[in-house]
Amino acid sequence: MTTKAIPKSTGITLTRRQRRLLNAVLYHFFVGLVGIAMVYPILWMVSASFKETADIWQNISSIWPKSLHLENYSNGWKGFGGISFTTFYKNSFIYSGFGTLFQVASSAVVAYGFARIEFSGKRICFALMLSTMMLPDQVRMIPQYILFNELGWVNSFAPLLVPRLGGAAFFIFMIIQFIRGIPTELDEAAMIDGCGKAGIFFRIILPQLTPAMITAAIFSFYWTWDDFMTPLIYLNSPKMYTVSVALRAFSDRGGGGATDWGAIFAMSTLSLLPVFIIFVAFQRYLVEGISTTGLKG
Amino acid sequence: MSNSALPATLVGSKRRVRARHWRHSNLAGYLFISPWLIGYLLFALMPILASLMLSFTNYDVLGHNILRGDWDFVGLDNFEKMFYHDYRYWKSVKATLNYVVFAVPLRLMFALAVAMLLNTKRHGVYFYRAAYYTPSVVGGSVAVALMWREIFQRDGLVNNILGTEIYWFGNPDYAMWVLVTLAVWQFGSPMLVFLAGLRQIPQDMYEAASIDGANFFQRFWRITIPLLTPIIFFNLVMQTINGFQQFTQAFIVTGGRPLDRTLLYPLYVYNRGFVSFQMGYASAMAWVLLVTIAFFTLILFASSRLWVYYQGDEGKS
Amino acid sequence: MKSAKGLILTLILMVALVAPAASAISAQENIELHITWWGSQNRHDRTIAVIDMFHEQNPNIEVVYEFSSWGDYWTLLTTKASGENLPDIMQQDYAFLKEWQSRDLLAPLDPFIADGTLDVSGVSDVVLGTGKIGDELYGLPLGTNSQAILIDVQAFEKAGIELPAPDWTWADFEEISLALHEKLGIWGFGGPLSDEALWKSLYMGYGTWAFNPEGTAIGYEDDQPLVDYFDMILRLIDAEAIPSAEQWAEYADLGPEGNPLVTGQSVMGYWWSNQIVAITKAAGEGREFKLWHLPRPEGGQPQNYIKPSQFFSVTTQAKHPKEAAMFINFFVNNMEASDALGTERGVPVVAAVREHLAPALSPIDIETFDFLARVEADGSPVPPPDPAGWAEIRDNIYAPQFVDPVLYGEISPAEGAAMLREEANLILARNK
Repeated sequence: MTTKAIPKSTGITLTRRQRRLLNAVLYHFFVGLVGIAMVYPILWMVSASFKETADIWQNISSIWPKSLHLENYSNGWKGFGGISFTTFYKNSFIYSGFGTLFQVASSAVVAYGFARIEFSGKRICFALMLSTMMLPDQVRMIPQYILFNELGWVNSFAPLLVPRLGGAAFFIFMIIQFIRGIPTELDEAAMIDGCGKAGIFFRIILPQLTPAMITAAIFSFYWTWDDFMTPLIYLNSPKMYTVSVALRAFSDRGGGGATDWGAIFAMSTLSLLPVFIIFVAFQRYLVEGISTTGLKG
Repeated sequence: MSNSALPATLVGSKRRVRARHWRHSNLAGYLFISPWLIGYLLFALMPILASLMLSFTNYDVLGHNILRGDWDFVGLDNFEKMFYHDYRYWKSVKATLNYVVFAVPLRLMFALAVAMLLNTKRHGVYFYRAAYYTPSVVGGSVAVALMWREIFQRDGLVNNILGTEIYWFGNPDYAMWVLVTLAVWQFGSPMLVFLAGLRQIPQDMYEAASIDGANFFQRFWRITIPLLTPIIFFNLVMQTINGFQQFTQAFIVTGGRPLDRTLLYPLYVYNRGFVSFQMGYASAMAWVLLVTIAFFTLILFASSRLWVYYQGDEGKS
Repeated sequence: MKSAKGLILTLILMVALVAPAASAISAQENIELHITWWGSQNRHDRTIAVIDMFHEQNPNIEVVYEFSSWGDYWTLLTTKASGENLPDIMQQDYAFLKEWQSRDLLAPLDPFIADGTLDVSGVSDVVLGTGKIGDELYGLPLGTNSQAILIDVQAFEKAGIELPAPDWTWADFEEISLALHEKLGIWGFGGPLSDEALWKSLYMGYGTWAFNPEGTAIGYEDDQPLVDYFDMILRLIDAEAIPSAEQWAEYADLGPEGNPLVTGQSVMGYWWSNQIVAITKAAGEGREFKLWHLPRPEGGQPQNYIKPSQFFSVTTQAKHPKEAAMFINFFVNNMEASDALGTERGVPVVAAVREHLAPALSPIDIETFDFLARVEADGSPVPPPDPAGWAEIRDNIYAPQFVDPVLYGEISPAEGAAMLREEANLILARNK
């Protein structure tokens, strides 16, 4: 967006520069202001993570802690009865790491099948795939549990990870849409050069799917990281708990005793970090995009 | 899913026929979709069919085993009760429609607008993009539930920004707006999909259009929007499907109150299944929802023939 | 034929001979005992410490534990039950004990008391009775609790109003709430007077209970007390002496820590006695709270009763019921275990344990102990556990169809009370 062609008349240069400056100021003012509203919840949470319990509740709308209580982090990290967040993070990374890898990789393969190959029964398969997203989880939970129980998979990562090898309807559909947005000329050129379908997928389609794959990976990682129902039901020992499960085990609204809210906020704040890091690390690829030269046909 | 039109550019008709022929392959097709198909048959199909069957039973989930047949078929009783004798059912239908009608379009528009704004190479855009995405990744822990409640408190951020003094959680007319506002606030996922879609639009198209003297709005309407339609369509379908199934926010933030104004459908399904243990009834409710969502999705797919433009299918670049 | 019969008899004989031997062997073998509970970090730490102690004394028993928050716990355990995967020991609640027992998910503990595995001699009959359904014990209470009005002592002083009498009535309550509001300008009482537990307790004041003893119908003939009670609530709301439904919604989900009592916006609140710990901690240094009896009807019975805060129950899907009973016995009777547990689960049920803990009690603990002693002296008999279907009545009828419409003025208290009776009876009729 930098100045490519500088006009010769200085008068016009100034006004154009001024206009550009004005644009930039307006842009940053507006986008920045809304941005503050966007990050306010996080700021509030980070601030609460440094407050002591009484301060959290006494000054609930204040974003400034009265004093910094770093021990919230160490108290929280301790976890429960000697099982610390080190364990929970390890489990979460297993679930989110492999879960994302499996889900995104096979979604791309399946999406290519749906988007670029004609076969009988395709429409039915596609409809069935979409329909899996339309039934609320709440009624699928019990039959699913019984299925995995019969398979003897309960209390292992298998019910969490194995089904992901089949991809996920959301990502399959998403990648299909991206593939269908890619012109077919290159496919055909490659085909004429004797490339097979797998070859086209890997050499032509996949490189152009970078933004879609990155987006899918960001989502998949976050949704898996955040998922707590599946790990809660299938991982039946604190040594296997994920961060999301552990976070929910901190407080007991109905019961008595004091809840260490400072520690809850500290751990909740920390739990956002991996998701955030993944996003920041990957979004670069979203910005730079892909080179699509040579398509002018 | 129209695939009738094949590349009709400079390619000869002989090549076109070959291409169509080459594109059709049952073996390759099923080979590529096999990961999904196998997963579906092994893990998804059984629970789906089980819930369908249970919707015609009086299955009481607590301590009764599906496999041992601890249930009786009751015909259409569940559906009859739902439609004619359940006071709260229609309240939850109303709440859900209210939510979908407002939350889905607002969220999509906001996501597209922000994606356009952030699809630039200005300084600081990395930062903004991260900032705008953060509300979408906070999850559903207790701390987060408390955070959202704090923000909608009477002396909280939302009232401060709007200059109002509304009891967001207690006022039956406003409580739904808590959920709608949260949905709009957490627009990150459709925004990212839009961003990725915008990235996929070849830059040379814009350059060519600029050389032809097209201004910003012309470029937006003639290039951006048409080429983005597959992604807009995807987001529309997914947000609609997800809108009908929104559970977490209602569960952790409003709990269906007050006066059941925020009793979103899945929340009521959960309540029937896990509080009243009437899993047969809950399954029946869930299947009505599935049929409803499928109906709306079909309409969207039917309409897509009119407005969604696939470069890969048409081949007219 | 003869030989076949003989063969069967021999087999039975062999099994009869081998079975005790086999179980004797298994006692030496390593076994896994599964246990689940809900709670906070504090409870998890303490319970795990006791589990470790138990394992040290019984090295052949590996205790596998699982915990979660209250809300998730019931979803998880319902799922486990459907797969016949229940743990040996589960923490149970008064509201669900009957629900689970009626579905044959809980095993009676009496055989283990009979064979000496489980020693309940230190538990008073009243407290032990809370775990009984019919004559059988389905859950051993772990601690006790009672409903209470929490009072901000300093605010009363500031208003120049005397603390109420321990046997105050609802008329006193109304008067005091109004006076406090007038003097201080804040809510006299900031809490949910419409809470479902107060509905049930209300009828205790009239010598009956919300449900009949069999749990098959509503237990009172007359809706008038409930109507009068809600009329009082509406009057207090009108006078701004208590929060309106609209205002209360701001606090409803915040738990004890977010109560207006903590932030000084109200002088009294309604909580379970053990929650005074959380409230005092959240209010910060220098505040003084006291536990008070619930008000009662004019000339009526006390509305308080000793409630078990939670139970340990042995499930029918348990693989090692005897060892489960051993663990429960250790949990409630062992002094070292009691040191680790403290009063986190409520006031301990075993008298010797209470005495053992007495020297180390904090001022709040002492307030709680005293309060429960007062309730035991001046309380109503413990009502039977809530009937099956109670959760459904609470979540599908009482709150959304009665309390909300009445407090938001959509229906009158009389209409609401009649509807509540009718709808609740429909659900309870299933227990016949």
